[in-house]
Amino acid sequence: MGPNRMINKEKRRNCICTLILIAAVLGICGFLEANKYSYSYAISIIERSMVYAVVAVSMNLVNGFTGLFSLGQAGFMALGAYVTAIFTIPVGQRPSVYYISGINPAIANVQLPIIVALILGGLVAAGVAALIGFPVLRLKSDYLAIATLGFAEIIRACIAAPQFDTITNGSYGLKSIPGFTNIFQPLALSVVCIGLMILLINSSYGRMFKAVREDEIAAEAMGINLFKTKELSFVISSFFAGISGGMLAMFMRSIDSKTFQVALTYDILLIVVIGGIGSVTGSVIGAFIVTAGRELLRFFDEPLMIGGVQVPLFRPGFRMVIFSILLMVVVLFYRKGLMGTNEFSWNGIFDFFKHPFKKKSKKMEGKA
Amino acid sequence: MNDNTQNVLSMQNVIMQFGGVRAIDNLSLDVNKGEIVALIGPNGAGKTTAFNCITGIYTPTSGMVSFNGKNLKGTSPDEITKLGIARTFQNIRLFSNLTVFDNVLIAKHLRAKDNVFTATLRLNRAEEKRMREETALLLKEQGLYELKDEIASSLPYGLQRHLEIARALATQPELLLLDEPAAGMNPQETQELTDFIVKIRDQYKLSIFMIEHHMDLVMQISERIYVLNFGKLIAQGTPDEIQSNPEVIEAYLGGSEDA
Repeated sequence: MGPNRMINKEKRRNCICTLILIAAVLGICGFLEANKYSYSYAISIIERSMVYAVVAVSMNLVNGFTGLFSLGQAGFMALGAYVTAIFTIPVGQRPSVYYISGINPAIANVQLPIIVALILGGLVAAGVAALIGFPVLRLKSDYLAIATLGFAEIIRACIAAPQFDTITNGSYGLKSIPGFTNIFQPLALSVVCIGLMILLINSSYGRMFKAVREDEIAAEAMGINLFKTKELSFVISSFFAGISGGMLAMFMRSIDSKTFQVALTYDILLIVVIGGIGSVTGSVIGAFIVTAGRELLRFFDEPLMIGGVQVPLFRPGFRMVIFSILLMVVVLFYRKGLMGTNEFSWNGIFDFFKHPFKKKSKKMEGKA
Repeated sequence: MNDNTQNVLSMQNVIMQFGGVRAIDNLSLDVNKGEIVALIGPNGAGKTTAFNCITGIYTPTSGMVSFNGKNLKGTSPDEITKLGIARTFQNIRLFSNLTVFDNVLIAKHLRAKDNVFTATLRLNRAEEKRMREETALLLKEQGLYELKDEIASSLPYGLQRHLEIARALATQPELLLLDEPAAGMNPQETQELTDFIVKIRDQYKLSIFMIEHHMDLVMQISERIYVLNFGKLIAQGTPDEIQSNPEVIEAYLGGSEDA
C-alpha cells in the first residue's frame, strides 16, 4: 500500500499543479486582454512567442525526433502565411492591397473563414513538402540542410516573382490581413497544434520517428520503411509550420517575402537549440525566452549616460551583441539546451527544489 | 514434402561485387525449416556481406536469394523483415537512447493495423494496447521485464546482445539471422548463449542462420555448417565433416605444413 499511496499522492499533487498552471495562464491572458491598451507591448511579445512555439515544435519534430537536419521551415511558413493572407483579406479591401498589378480574378472574391484558411495554408505547405521530400529526403545531415535551405529560398523567390504579382502582390507584400481579435485566439491555436504534435510524438508513429533517428539500419531491420517515415515526419512538420506561418501573418497584419528569409529559419533553429533538441517543452520555453529576451534587452540600444559621460557601446544594434553572447553562454554551459531531451514534469520540478545541487547525479551513477 | 526438409532460405549462385572486389563469389546455400545453420570463415571472408544480401541492404550483382520460395530481388529491407526474416548486428545496433521497453515496442509496430491519424488521435487504443501487451509478454519470457525502463545503452554488454535478440524476436520472424552473437563473450557467457539459441529456436519455432567465430558454440548446436573464404564457399557439411576437412583447417590455420 505504501508506495501506491505515495504515487497517488504525487498524482494528485501534479494534477493540482497542472490546474493551477492552466488557471494562471488563463488568468494572465484574461488580465492582459482586459487591459490590452496598457499592455499591448507585452501582449505582442506573448503572441509572437506563441507563434514561434508552434513552428519551433514543428521543427523539433523533424530535427529532434526524426533526426533530419532540415532548414526549410521559413519556406513552409511563407506558404502558410501567403495562403492565409490571400484568403482572409476582406474582399472590400483587396483593390487597395493589389493596387499596382490588380488581383487575379480566380481569387478576387474568395474569402474563407480564418480557421479554414489556416488549415488550407498548412495543407499547401504539406503538399509542397511532400513533393520536395522525394528528392531531398534521400540526403543526409548537412546535405539535407543545404537542400532544404535552398528549397525554402526557392519558395520565397517564387512568391516574390513578378509572374505571381496578381496572386502574391510580388515585392509589395500583403496587408490588411485580419489580425487576432484577442490573445485567446493564438493561445488556443498554439495549444491545439502543439497538443497534436505531442500526441503524435507519443504515438507508435512517434516511436518510429525516434527509431529512425537512433539508427536507420536497425530501424529498417525492424520493418520500418525509412523513406515513408521520414516523408511523413517532414510533411507533418511542414503542415504545422504552414499553420504557424498563417498565424504569423495574422500577428503581423502585413507580410512580404522578406519576412521569410533564411534569418527566420535561424531564429527558429536557435529556439530549438536553446530549448533542447528533442524536447517539446524545451522548444516552447525557448520560444518565449528568445522572443522576450530580444525585446527586454532593448535598453542596450539606448544611449546610456554615466556621470555625464556617454557610454560608447550603448547604441542601436548593441542588444544583438549582448543577445548573441548570452546565447553562446547558454550553449556552452547547457550543451544540450535548457531541457536536453527531457520534458517538463512536476516531479522533475519538485525533485529539483528538494535537491537543487544533487540533480540527477544518482541516476547518472546508475547508468554509467 | 515433410516439415523437416522444407526449405526456408536459399541462395543460388549469388555474386556481390564492389568495384573490382568480389566480396561474395558464386555462393549457394540453403537453410531448412527448424535448422540451426552456421556460416563460418576467417575475417573478411564475406560473411556479413552475405547477411546484407539476404536482408536487402545490398542487392546482389547476380544470383538469387529466395525466402520460402519467394525471390527477394528488389524487396526493401523493411519488407523483408515483414516477410519474416529478422537479424541482429555484429556491432550491436540498439536504439541507444530509448528504453528497453521502447526498443522492443518499436519492432511491434510492424504488424500494427493503424495509421498516423488513428494513432495520433488515439482512435485505436486496442492496437496500442496489443502492442504493449505483446512487448511485456516477450520481455517477461526473455527475463528482461525488470529492466524495461532502463535506457538501452546503459545495459551491460551481454544484456545488450540479449535485448537485440529479443527485439528481433518481436518482429515474429520465421528465420533469425545472428551476426556473431557471442562476440566479446567469455566462455561461460558463450555456453549460456549456446543453450539460449537452442531454446529460442524451439520456443519460437525458428530457423536460425548464424555467423560465429566461437567454434565451441558452432560445433555444439549447428546442424550444418558452411565455410566461406575470400567470398567462396570452400566447404559445407555437418560439424564432424567440417572439423576434419583439410581445406577448412588450411583456411583457418594457414596450413603451410601440409601444403
